[in-house]
Amino acid sequence: MELKRTLLVLSLSAIAFKGIAQKAAIIAEDTLAKTKTESTTTIGGYGNAFYQRNSSTKTANVNLERFVLFVGHKFNDKISFFSEVEVEDAKVSGGEHGGEVAIEQAYLKFNLNANQYITAGLFIPRIGILNENHLPNSFNGNERNYVETYILPSTWRELGVALYGNFNRLPLNYSIALVNGLNSSAFEHGSGIREGRYEGRNASANNLAITGALQYYQGNFKAQVSGYYGGTVGASKTDVDVLGLKAGTFGTPVAIGEADVQYSNNGWSARVLGTIVSIPDAFNINAAYHNNTPQTEYGVYAELGYDLLYTANKQNQKQLVVFVRDEKFNINSKIPSNGVVDAALNQNHVVAGFTYLPIRNVAIKGDVRFVSTAQQNSNYNLVNLGVALSF
Amino acid sequence: MDRRLFVKQSCTMCVAIGAGLVIGSISSCATLPVYKTAIADNKLSIPETLFANSDFQIIQPKDFFYNIGLRKEQGGSYTALLLKCTHHDNQLIAMGNGFKCNLHGSVFDNEGQVTVGPARAALHKYHTEVLAGQIIIHIS
Repeated sequence: MELKRTLLVLSLSAIAFKGIAQKAAIIAEDTLAKTKTESTTTIGGYGNAFYQRNSSTKTANVNLERFVLFVGHKFNDKISFFSEVEVEDAKVSGGEHGGEVAIEQAYLKFNLNANQYITAGLFIPRIGILNENHLPNSFNGNERNYVETYILPSTWRELGVALYGNFNRLPLNYSIALVNGLNSSAFEHGSGIREGRYEGRNASANNLAITGALQYYQGNFKAQVSGYYGGTVGASKTDVDVLGLKAGTFGTPVAIGEADVQYSNNGWSARVLGTIVSIPDAFNINAAYHNNTPQTEYGVYAELGYDLLYTANKQNQKQLVVFVRDEKFNINSKIPSNGVVDAALNQNHVVAGFTYLPIRNVAIKGDVRFVSTAQQNSNYNLVNLGVALSF
Repeated sequence: MDRRLFVKQSCTMCVAIGAGLVIGSISSCATLPVYKTAIADNKLSIPETLFANSDFQIIQPKDFFYNIGLRKEQGGSYTALLLKCTHHDNQLIAMGNGFKCNLHGSVFDNEGQVTVGPARAALHKYHTEVLAGQIIIHIS
């Protein structure tokens, strides 16, 4: 009798819970769909892990490269918050080298109207392709392309304020942002300007940067031009005068230009990107910090892919993209007279492989990266196998 | 080829292609039709005559933070899509053959179905009806 009563209570509870759950799901769906002033919190994330074998060292390693959680909160129709918290290499332990925990983005978004909004906080400016579209199941290859890693240091987030918008009558989008500048004393030989990013941690606000982009969408084409100009010295004028550097908002500047075109149609996809970085006062930076800063660095890449499972049926989510990409970049294309040319930083990479997506949010990837440099006897390849996801 | 020349030519080519696409589009009047109106009684009223020369119109309701994509279907009915990404609520950009979110790269086709993630849910469709030459979009 007691057992029957317990079963009855459990059954009724299950039915009631199921009803509540269904109702909650419907409410959640409705909340997403409507645009009324309702406070909502959303979560998401992405991650990737891969195995890599190096033919030169004849070693292999496997790593959970990135795991990122998004949290967004909509306060009302005008104001929302968005954040990304990233863990690189799975583990960060005190006193040990490697791994990183970082706030990748944390900004407030203020909607002005249906075409314009302002962001303020730590965000990723629109420079290149990968900065804005860095989810690992959205690009081919286990590794991010090297041009947008070493020449354009993606993902490049800084503190500041930005205006995003699009025109009513033209297929053009624009963005302009004012952010903190770079730190030239942290530039390192072999990585260009990458180590000079503050990424939201105690950034100098004495030196600033302006960045802007213009995007054009039409059918299967997307084209973009973007630029960056900013100072790299945050110390006071009296401190840097003796070093021969210029302080101030745009003192000792870095200038970047970038252009890219993307195309996608009937299973084919193609993208081409070119970028150039100019540091006109590299001589003075080298004299002050001895970090072999280049005066000019550049990178270009072109990628072609085809989805072998492409069908006109849009409900089919499976994709098997085979691709090939050629990346050419030179981190010390022009070195000032007090620097040293490193031929190993003039590289050409050919990457070929596949990306299999059983569903749109999950990718299984395999690729080979053939690396050749201007340095003699330094050619090698990297075999990569991995998985990626986003939600 | 000389490296500097290669860089210069590559950059010039990219800028030229980009500029060519933009100028070509503008000169051929590839503009997006936009109609501004106000919401009254949770409804939008759009003149059907707007679709005399086009089967797509962006509707921009006053004091609304998202556009609505309104498409005339072959049977004469109308589909109204809320141009709000179902991933993280960002505004969408009309591309001509679909809608794109710049926040994480989600893409939706003209029917509002997801073609590129991370978004998983289709765009919200509003109920529409035609009354006396006016397309009524029910905002609910």
